[in-house]
Amino acid sequence: MTTDASGTLRRTALHDAHLALGARMVPFGGFEMPVQYTSILKEHEAVRKRAGLFDLSHMGQFMLTGAGVGEWAEALTVNKVANMKPGQARYNIFTNDRGGAHDDVIFYRLDEDRWLLVVNASNADKMWGVVTAAPASGVELVNLHGERALIAIQGPRSVEWLQPYVEADLAALKYYACAETRVKGTREPIVIARTGYTGEDGFELFLPSDEATGVWDLLLAENRRHGLEPCGLGARDVLRLEAGMPLYGHEMTEEITPLQAGLAWAIKFDKPAFRAKEALLAQRDAGDYARIAGLVMEGRVPARSGYPVFANGARAGEIRSGSWGPSVDKNIGTALVEPAAAAEGASLEVEVRGVRHRATVVLMPFYKRPKP
Amino acid sequence: MMTEMANGVPAGLLYSKEHEWVKLDGDVATVGITDYAQSSLGDIVYVEMPRMGATITQFDSIGVVESVKAVSDIFTPVGGEIVGTNGELDSDPASVNSDPYGQGWFYKVKLNDMSQTANLLTPEQYEQLIAES
Repeated sequence: MTTDASGTLRRTALHDAHLALGARMVPFGGFEMPVQYTSILKEHEAVRKRAGLFDLSHMGQFMLTGAGVGEWAEALTVNKVANMKPGQARYNIFTNDRGGAHDDVIFYRLDEDRWLLVVNASNADKMWGVVTAAPASGVELVNLHGERALIAIQGPRSVEWLQPYVEADLAALKYYACAETRVKGTREPIVIARTGYTGEDGFELFLPSDEATGVWDLLLAENRRHGLEPCGLGARDVLRLEAGMPLYGHEMTEEITPLQAGLAWAIKFDKPAFRAKEALLAQRDAGDYARIAGLVMEGRVPARSGYPVFANGARAGEIRSGSWGPSVDKNIGTALVEPAAAAEGASLEVEVRGVRHRATVVLMPFYKRPKP
Repeated sequence: MMTEMANGVPAGLLYSKEHEWVKLDGDVATVGITDYAQSSLGDIVYVEMPRMGATITQFDSIGVVESVKAVSDIFTPVGGEIVGTNGELDSDPASVNSDPYGQGWFYKVKLNDMSQTANLLTPEQYEQLIAES
């Protein structure tokens, strides 16, 4: 865990707001963050049925400026960057030479020469090292980690509840699009993106730290009585798992490649060159790599990260994430297992405190939001 | 209606430092976790307990209670033979949150030694414990 020089946890601009709302605070990624306000299950339900408000200011935000950003970033990542259009957001993965993941990230192209790069909180220091170590001409890097806030509103009512405070037409903003627009309570236009980590519709607002409390309070003041709930990292983790979204450190690590994580769609082998191209091509062509599978437990015993997984009585891998999945009414999880054990419908066993419990491999996501 | 101390600690029960409660009826004790414990753990999704007839020893870890986020040991506040378990928790583990001293009970133990109750806390002592934590 990263901490500042004195070893103490950092706080986001919304820290006092969280305490006033009765949040339970936990250390996460070097910050003191709300894990829950009332109940993980209640907050989860709010996001699935109405909307929830999240403080994600612990996430790393880097500003990348210059004509060389696209080309520079493409060499370090698996997805394409240079062909993104202004106003577009795109998921991507920085890798090491072996194809293992440094981090999974989102690039937001704000205009021709300015990009916002959002990295995981727990990887922010490492990622700053990665981007500054890469030789670049025509690329200027600014680390805004901890200096700018990030507020997300997620859930089917997000457009309705956010629109009154925003100049841009949110309904017209497509999924994975971003815009700089005026928001009530901010001095300058801020970046709003239709992105998230919950499997629901929603928006992320990137704003100066000293304006975060004003915007947070404004959004809750009117909408809380209609059912907008402040939501913590506990609910966020359940929501992302149900939506089949990887969490760095679990489904992807320096040792687990994006191919293994089931993210082949994000790897563009037609790029002329990128850091792990050869390693990932070799892994793809060999085809015998352990991979992430989604699984559903039989019965009430939750699978937890690290539990051993068996196929036909033999050790086949281990659980990487596991939780009760309220939207599917089952215990769900991911496991890193041998290829044969990852096939849809495969019958597995998960060892929990010395007892093996049956589980079945299913295609992810576990939960898909209803079409509007 | 149970009489309550401050902090919602019911009178008439005994408590452990690990936040379990014990309700004595002759030499049979009903065991559960306190309101303080359920609130700290968050939404309970699973409780694993010894089988009927199993013999357990006071303060041993004899099962687990799982919230959405975490697995926690159950340190039994009393030892003896398991003579009842709350099967309803399989389908409704949330009753531990909503009614920790009632429907959310865990198991019943026939005590092998009544003197072990001297190792437990009174409601006043337990109230002080959680006030200090």
